[in-house]
Amino acid sequence: MKKIKLTIEGMHCASCAANIERAVGKVKGVKDVTVSLMTNKAFVEMEEDTSREEIKKAVEKVGYKLAGIEE
Amino acid sequence: MKHSENGHHEISIEEKEMTDWKKKLIFSWAFVIPIAIIMLSDRILKIQIFEENAMKLIIMALGFPVIFILGWKTIKQGIRGLFTFYFNMDSLIALGTIIAYTTGFLSFFEIVQDYSGVASMIMAFFTTGKYVESIARGKASQEIRKLLKLGAKSARILKGNKETEIPIEEVKIGDIIVVRPGEKIPTDGIVVKGESAVDESMVTGESLPTEKKKNSSVIGATINQDGVLYVKATKIGKDTFLAHIIKLVEEAQGTKIPIQKLADKITGIFVPVILAISVLAFVNWFFISKDLSKSIGVAISVLVIACPCALGLATPTALMVGSGMGAKNGILIRKGEAIQTMKEVKIVVFDKTGTITKGMPEVTDIFSDMKEKEFLKIAASLESVSEHPISRAIVEKAKKEDIKLLGVRNFRVERGRGIRGNLQGKSVLIGNRRLMTDNRISYRKYEDKIIKLEAQGKTAIIVSVNKKIIGIMGVADAIKTDSLEAIKNLQKRNYRTIMITGDNEKTAKAIAAQAGINEVIADVLPEEKENKVKELQEEGMVAFVGDGINDAPALKQSNVGIAMGTGTDIAIESGDIVLTKGSLQGVVQAINLSKETFKKIKQNLFWAFFYNIIAIPLAVLGTLSPVVAEIAMATSSITVVTNANLLRRKRI
Repeated sequence: MKKIKLTIEGMHCASCAANIERAVGKVKGVKDVTVSLMTNKAFVEMEEDTSREEIKKAVEKVGYKLAGIEE
Repeated sequence: MKHSENGHHEISIEEKEMTDWKKKLIFSWAFVIPIAIIMLSDRILKIQIFEENAMKLIIMALGFPVIFILGWKTIKQGIRGLFTFYFNMDSLIALGTIIAYTTGFLSFFEIVQDYSGVASMIMAFFTTGKYVESIARGKASQEIRKLLKLGAKSARILKGNKETEIPIEEVKIGDIIVVRPGEKIPTDGIVVKGESAVDESMVTGESLPTEKKKNSSVIGATINQDGVLYVKATKIGKDTFLAHIIKLVEEAQGTKIPIQKLADKITGIFVPVILAISVLAFVNWFFISKDLSKSIGVAISVLVIACPCALGLATPTALMVGSGMGAKNGILIRKGEAIQTMKEVKIVVFDKTGTITKGMPEVTDIFSDMKEKEFLKIAASLESVSEHPISRAIVEKAKKEDIKLLGVRNFRVERGRGIRGNLQGKSVLIGNRRLMTDNRISYRKYEDKIIKLEAQGKTAIIVSVNKKIIGIMGVADAIKTDSLEAIKNLQKRNYRTIMITGDNEKTAKAIAAQAGINEVIADVLPEEKENKVKELQEEGMVAFVGDGINDAPALKQSNVGIAMGTGTDIAIESGDIVLTKGSLQGVVQAINLSKETFKKIKQNLFWAFFYNIIAIPLAVLGTLSPVVAEIAMATSSITVVTNANLLRRKRI
């Protein structure tokens, strides 16, 4: 299990946070996602080998920009 | 990556968004004000500035950039949401404005009323609302952002005899940093030369400056006040105290408060439900009134009045303001849940050492048959291997008397009892009564003295060599100056206060009495504290206050764990709330802060629910025009954020 921090650009409303939680939550290996609208951060709990690329795609699919990943 | 660690990145996102909305706002109104003048003079003053069809065209032409250029991001995001089934608030606005704008074309064929002017007004008000909201949100996070910006940018390091200024990222552990009066200490370290007072309020919340001299530890981002300090860097980058605090505060924002769950569930399905209501309202109105214009108006009103934002912002904004206020006062909320749990807490359990007391014990009495120096030599030699605060006190005492220590073999810690080891072939045991009893060593000769020490709240340390007692020591750990006041404060609020300690009952009771606590759980081994907390939990919710290093399991077991940090030793991993300043008043403040923040969250959620429950039916009934509906929507989310900001008025 691993916890990473994402910086997300473009969130501006509550349903944005909910959408990202839903989309990233569907990525294989991801156990838990919490998005903080106020700090533009998402905390992802996941398997060690979860694809960062998949997470990035999930964020972009719902229309936001992944500005950074901190391991 | 380095950049975002220092937090510059977050700021740029927020500020970028704010200026972005501001630009859009100005340009939107530049187009919308002429539209409004044309429309109002036509409908209210009945003055037609232009001929009917020309007017429609002009309004649509002016409105186009407002909706499809300035509002493009919203439209794009909204439409994408509709197609991917990841609906968001933009979907509602996009649909509302596009439908309204389309009526402009339809009106040329006289099918329906022209809402195209209304469409651009909706977008303009939406933009305005977002701008005001972004300011309010910025205000809500101001303390946190201040914290992020706190770190020094550069350091002046000593190389040989020359001082060179280097960027903070290039400072290495072991570098000697020169800090002049008025300057920021660049990173955590130890003073190697110089004396000064340092203002640590920005990091620990401690308002009085702290005196620093050789060997004092200093915290990065604090301000050196009056002397030059030479500081050896001990921690850099993300290992510093400040970096830990920032991480903790940021992570707290990502934790959920149970009360928020319902709101989250609703925001999850909010948009599709509103879409459905809007369609139903349209069909119904059209069926009943056969008035297409009115039906479209109602449908647009429903789309733009519904506001998931107020619901979604209610909790995070209040939590943001609350944790910012906390951070300013040295209270770090690690888990949002603690805010909700705190109001149920009835019992507050305090660990003794380092929590109620200063945690800096001193040897105050020595009774021995031997010469005092000889006695100390034996005791301090064995204690010098141990890390325990009492051991340090004894070693300190020996140092003061210039006593040379002996080598120790076979050292072992007897948890909760004492220590043992061999000195020059002799077996030495140092510890409490239990250690002696367990090893069948009689201490009767010193019984009276031990009792006397304990009655004074001192810990009696018994020293034996080859199973014979050679003397005892009294070690006192004075209580912190404001412990009594803080505990009285809690008792006034009807909290049951309990002290827990490994000390024996008599010592414990004497200390507890000084702190104003009647209830004492004494003789508790470190590993038993957790169980004691569990037992107390059968009587009510328990908050445990401890140093977070030895008490981690008890902190975890309790309903709200409050970890006391002292200086740079911050117990990040344990405790739902971490206090950076050593004072017990912080516990009172943390309780107040949690309660006030939770009250705000409840208020916010109430208003957000209330707003939607009233506003949506009003829109369905056709009592609100689309523009009024949009204004109401924008106002509701601004209200929630502003209300969160009002938390600042509370004194904690």
